[in-house]
Amino acid sequence: MPTMERDDGERERCVTGIDAIDHILNGGIPRGNTVLISGSVGTGKTSICIEFLIRGALEGENSLYLSVTEPTDKLLKNVIPFDFFDDRLAKQGKLQFVDMPKIYEELGIDKEDMDFKEARLLASRIASIVEEQKIRRLVLDSVTSVCYRIKDQERIRDFLLRLGTVLSAKGCTSLLVSEIRSTEEGYSRWGVEEALADGVIVTGNLERRGDLLRTLQVVKMRGTTHSRAKYVLDLTTSGVLLVPLLKGGSVTGSG
Amino acid sequence: MAEQSIPAEVSEKLSALPVASAVALHLKADQYFDAIQGLIDRFATKKDLEVVYVTSTIPSQSILNAMEALEIPVEHIWFVDCITQIMMSQAKRHPHSIVVESPTMLENIMLKVEFLLRKNPDRNALVVLDSINSLAIHNNTKILSEFLHILVNNLRARGAYTVIISMQEYETEEIRNMLVLVSDEALELGV
Repeated sequence: MPTMERDDGERERCVTGIDAIDHILNGGIPRGNTVLISGSVGTGKTSICIEFLIRGALEGENSLYLSVTEPTDKLLKNVIPFDFFDDRLAKQGKLQFVDMPKIYEELGIDKEDMDFKEARLLASRIASIVEEQKIRRLVLDSVTSVCYRIKDQERIRDFLLRLGTVLSAKGCTSLLVSEIRSTEEGYSRWGVEEALADGVIVTGNLERRGDLLRTLQVVKMRGTTHSRAKYVLDLTTSGVLLVPLLKGGSVTGSG
Repeated sequence: MAEQSIPAEVSEKLSALPVASAVALHLKADQYFDAIQGLIDRFATKKDLEVVYVTSTIPSQSILNAMEALEIPVEHIWFVDCITQIMMSQAKRHPHSIVVESPTMLENIMLKVEFLLRKNPDRNALVVLDSINSLAIHNNTKILSEFLHILVNNLRARGAYTVIISMQEYETEEIRNMLVLVSDEALELGV
């Protein structure tokens, strides 16, 4: 089991490489944390996750993207052409993309409703990929889609607990994408995801006097102190950039 | 002694200031283009600075046209244009110009400045804010003060020069107070 504590007693950090997020988290995500990236469509969740993986791969950490909602070919065509992306990362196996439907098929669980056993089988299979490939960063995009197949809250709780425990034990820091409606209360569709995650980062849209701003806020992160302020986000070819949300104006929406 | 030209005066006064200075440049309307020439063609060239020019007064293409007429090279000049989009103009976009949808999106102005500075991390920079008066048309004083405070301190920490243009004819007491709060120096020309 990897050492998860530094000499100074602080939790070892997974430096995301997204400067502003590392700053907000006082040095990065505590290594092995399972973090929910929660937000409605078009708020930058996938871009944040892809940058997290590329930055990790560039630092020599094996990184894996599990795509549930769209085939990786299509995903990669639409992703921001980051300046720092290096084609060789995929060829070297540092950055891997796997379509979840292929895993469902391989396990014989390619169906609408998974039972306890099948959900556990899926968690074990993800864990074994992480172990075999020595994955240090994982993104599951989206956990909401996986939960749709598991359906029952108890089974979802069991699946997420198992997955989180095993990933943490292997020192793999993971981002689970949670798709919510802009009008939704809470940070996940089923309610249990946010309770089980070590961290919750919320992306949103904020309307202010007719302008629509993309925002990001760290609501929870176990193992570190962090800012809980709201930031405005920009998705650029240099990566995800953040600045503090200005508070002097009249804010009419919620994000 | 011969009277100094406006471009030469701007360059000389800014050159006398330490790196990372934040300057409020109080201009009369008839000094505007000469002052820009002084900032970009003389001062920035002399100091070998990357220029990020935030315009909320006139479209970046108009400034680029003026620069072309004055034969000022634009290789190291980048624009954050906050006015072209709200004009719904069909004008062709210059590759050195990034658009912010509206001058009310102050956070996005900061983000675009940050983006441009990251593009050239090895070069020192001059960030010009043109102008505080036009931003004040679209934003209330509270949010504008907050914006300036964060932007200027961020640029200061990066070692970049900040020049905030203020047109004297449109200055209010509030704008003057705001500039005093955030800037290290206030410059007036021809005095």
